[in-house]
Amino acid sequence: MNGSWFRGYKLAFLLPALLSLAAIVLFPLFFTIAVSFSGWDAVTPGLNWRGGANYAAMAGDARFWEAFGRLAFLAIATVLLEYLLGLALALLVWREVKLRRFFRVLFLVPMMTTPVVMSVLWRTILHESLGPVNDILGHLGIPAVPWLTSSLPAVASVMIVEIWQWTPFMFLLLLAGLLSLPREPFLAAAIDGAGPVRTFFNVTWPMLLPVSAGALIIRLIEASKMLETIYVLTSGGPGTATETSGYYIYIRGLRDFEISYGAALSITYLVVMIVALTIIAKLLVRAVKGKAA
Amino acid sequence: MNHRLFVLGKYAAILLWSAFVVGPFLWALTTSFKTAAGVTGGPTYLPWLQYEPSVDGWRKLFGATGGIDIVRPYFDSIVVTTSASVISIVLGTLAAYGLSRFEYRAGFVKNADLVFFFVSQRIMPPIVLSIPFFLMLQFLDLLDTRLGLIIVYVALLLPIAVWIMVDFFNNVPREIDEMAMLDGCTPFGAFARVILPNSLPGIIVAGLFCLIFGWNDFFFAFTLTFTQTQLLPVAVVALNSSVTPWWSLSASALISVAPLVVIAFFVERLLSRGNLAGAIR
Amino acid sequence: MSLSVQGLTLRREGVAHLDDVELEFPRGRLTTVIGRTLAGKTTLLRTLAGLLTPDAGSIALDGRPIDDVPAWKRDVAMVYQQFINYPNLDVFENVAFPLRRRGVAEPELGNRVRATLAKVGLAEFQQRRPSQLSGGQQQRVALARALVRGAPILLLDEPVVNLDYKLREQIRSEFRGLLTSASGAIVVYTTTEPAEAMMLGDTVVVMHEGKVLQRGSPAEVFERPASATVAEVFSDPPMNFVDGRFDGGCITVAGAAPLAAAGGVSSLRPGDYRFGIRAKDVRIDAASPLSGRITFVEVSGSETFVQVDTPFGALTLQLEGIHDFSLGEPVPIALDPRRLFAFDRAGALVGAPSR
Repeated sequence: MNGSWFRGYKLAFLLPALLSLAAIVLFPLFFTIAVSFSGWDAVTPGLNWRGGANYAAMAGDARFWEAFGRLAFLAIATVLLEYLLGLALALLVWREVKLRRFFRVLFLVPMMTTPVVMSVLWRTILHESLGPVNDILGHLGIPAVPWLTSSLPAVASVMIVEIWQWTPFMFLLLLAGLLSLPREPFLAAAIDGAGPVRTFFNVTWPMLLPVSAGALIIRLIEASKMLETIYVLTSGGPGTATETSGYYIYIRGLRDFEISYGAALSITYLVVMIVALTIIAKLLVRAVKGKAA
Repeated sequence: MNHRLFVLGKYAAILLWSAFVVGPFLWALTTSFKTAAGVTGGPTYLPWLQYEPSVDGWRKLFGATGGIDIVRPYFDSIVVTTSASVISIVLGTLAAYGLSRFEYRAGFVKNADLVFFFVSQRIMPPIVLSIPFFLMLQFLDLLDTRLGLIIVYVALLLPIAVWIMVDFFNNVPREIDEMAMLDGCTPFGAFARVILPNSLPGIIVAGLFCLIFGWNDFFFAFTLTFTQTQLLPVAVVALNSSVTPWWSLSASALISVAPLVVIAFFVERLLSRGNLAGAIR
Repeated sequence: MSLSVQGLTLRREGVAHLDDVELEFPRGRLTTVIGRTLAGKTTLLRTLAGLLTPDAGSIALDGRPIDDVPAWKRDVAMVYQQFINYPNLDVFENVAFPLRRRGVAEPELGNRVRATLAKVGLAEFQQRRPSQLSGGQQQRVALARALVRGAPILLLDEPVVNLDYKLREQIRSEFRGLLTSASGAIVVYTTTEPAEAMMLGDTVVVMHEGKVLQRGSPAEVFERPASATVAEVFSDPPMNFVDGRFDGGCITVAGAAPLAAAGGVSSLRPGDYRFGIRAKDVRIDAASPLSGRITFVEVSGSETFVQVDTPFGALTLQLEGIHDFSLGEPVPIALDPRRLFAFDRAGALVGAPSR
């Protein structure tokens, strides 16, 4: 619809939200950029110009760049596992199973809980000596695992908690996708005598590609901000084993109060994320379009 | 025979994952009724058989001596989350309708770019905005207040509302709006009288997602509030760092997640009725 | 008293949806706009309604320009090809909607709604929701809503195209009655079917690629199509075209003996022409030296459609009665020279059968 008489309405609909968001987000963003060029820290507060010194320091900050690597691994690994598990769960309670609606509700529950609160609980569950996990493993003859105090198990712990928390999200999107699939291709496959495995690979999964791409992108965006779980569960540790970009920025910027350095790290973090996620999103969309063609 | 095994395998897998889901809650439940004896000697599970249950952990939650107050954070969370969600849905639905129906152009910026602008706010890591938000709220004298948090949360939830509602509106035929206008409604009249009454499913979905993401935020509540306003997630995590016994911890954890668990039931209803199909794209 | 448009142009992505359209729609008359899909018919209606703003041109009602009047202030009613009704309102409220917007109160509101519903035959369905009605009934609701307020301009965009065949015929015959009883209104009805245009319209407008090709009474456009394109659009089955030469009173087409010209094509200047002949006018004639091979046979109602391949092109024949042919069978065909149309190189009509 176009026409000059629509103009007033067009603006009235869009502007409240657009201006609100711009005011709340854009000004702080520009402020952060300005701060990143200053020398603001606990000793010298205020916007005192320091040029690109922070960014220069950042370039040589190996710990910062390593944190990106850990974030990439954690985000991609957990999201992929969440996808596979979520898909399996969605297929399991999609049809023909007794009490499937009850199980659907049950499977959705973790996503509704407060992640930090559950992380607090998981901390007690994964406790080396007082927690149930090692106790049960002990009864099965497996030695106790230092879940939170040793590097690799710590990474595994973070992944376990994240997967517990967010698989339901994938499950929800994929199940919604499954429920909206048309019946005909499945009838055709049944007539052709395809078994469950063949039907899945030739009919179900191809039709789920668009939903899968969307779900993966959304979860990747959220996972790229991973911070709360790590804050509660491992505090980035042991050492820096689970330190992601967000956590490192928290340490330097907020805890150690190196405001300007933290700002420089933040801006870089944001830019890298925007670039990386946009590329991944475009790749996924292209892959789906190619397959669906 | 193969088929039998397959079906058995399905149920086994379902039960396995169900155990994984329910496990933490059961653990929290039993732990919330323990005392020191039930915790320090090693993990215990069954009340009366392995430890003496006590309601001490629960009592402490409601202000008993030496206890934690869980009621005020609850109230604050409800107020902040609901207000921010309502504002986000109102603003977001209006913007989504505009983006769905009209052609916007400002230079090279078009509708798709505007939608991307809204949705891409989710990429913003909270850390990037934490300092400026702190300074901004401090300047406005809104630090440690509910209003300050509501403003911040609107920025978080507005993208969600816009994302869901744009998709929803795109699936409602434009011709219905046109018909309303030819019948004498202004564009706003068409929106309010015709489209909105038919948009309830979309608004409910958007509302649920806003409530979930708003209730569960930790980072902004953590950095922007201290004593006067306290949201639930912060209150619970604060317990974590002090010398709080596990039983109070577990009790408060259970209480704080309970409300949203109820939402799971409603989400499943919408799922089965097919209302979520539109939001998924 | 009329609705007139001048110089109406609308382009999107390089394609002209409307190209310098100039038309007049008089009061109390039903004008049919016919054209293929994407000819610009829907764009024309939407522009008249105020939902689209043209890039150039103007619209005037009774001489007063209405270009600046927004859609919700133009008193225009429209019926779409998709069955558009308000899903959350029952039938009564659907039809009452425009009246309520204009502040019409009970008891007048109720009377007008019930009277209109009776006219379209939906009196007993007042409490139903549109989703509980069949396609034909939904379209009647849409029509009732368009009629109830007696708007001076009534636009219908292929309103029966999504209904099944029998229903279409039934509703079409009702339209004629209903739409003329909307007396004094300017009615514009778009379609792709010539039969509909012939049946309903006082005036026919033929559009193609955004341009108006011809305007006149159905008989005029049918018997004197201004161009080959008009002849193509306004005949069902489509007109057959054959390229040939006219010289010395004879028409020569490729691969056949010359035909003696007669009727409207007998006084052409010598040269190359495109000849057209309707499917009804191609006959099976044992005496004819022309022949072709049958490539397609379809029996429809009490007629048989046959496609024949000839040295000078493929022809469609419309034969009365039910005939049994086998594919590949050679048949002798005759083109009645008195029923030939002739179009020059530019596609304009230069000769036509006498009436």
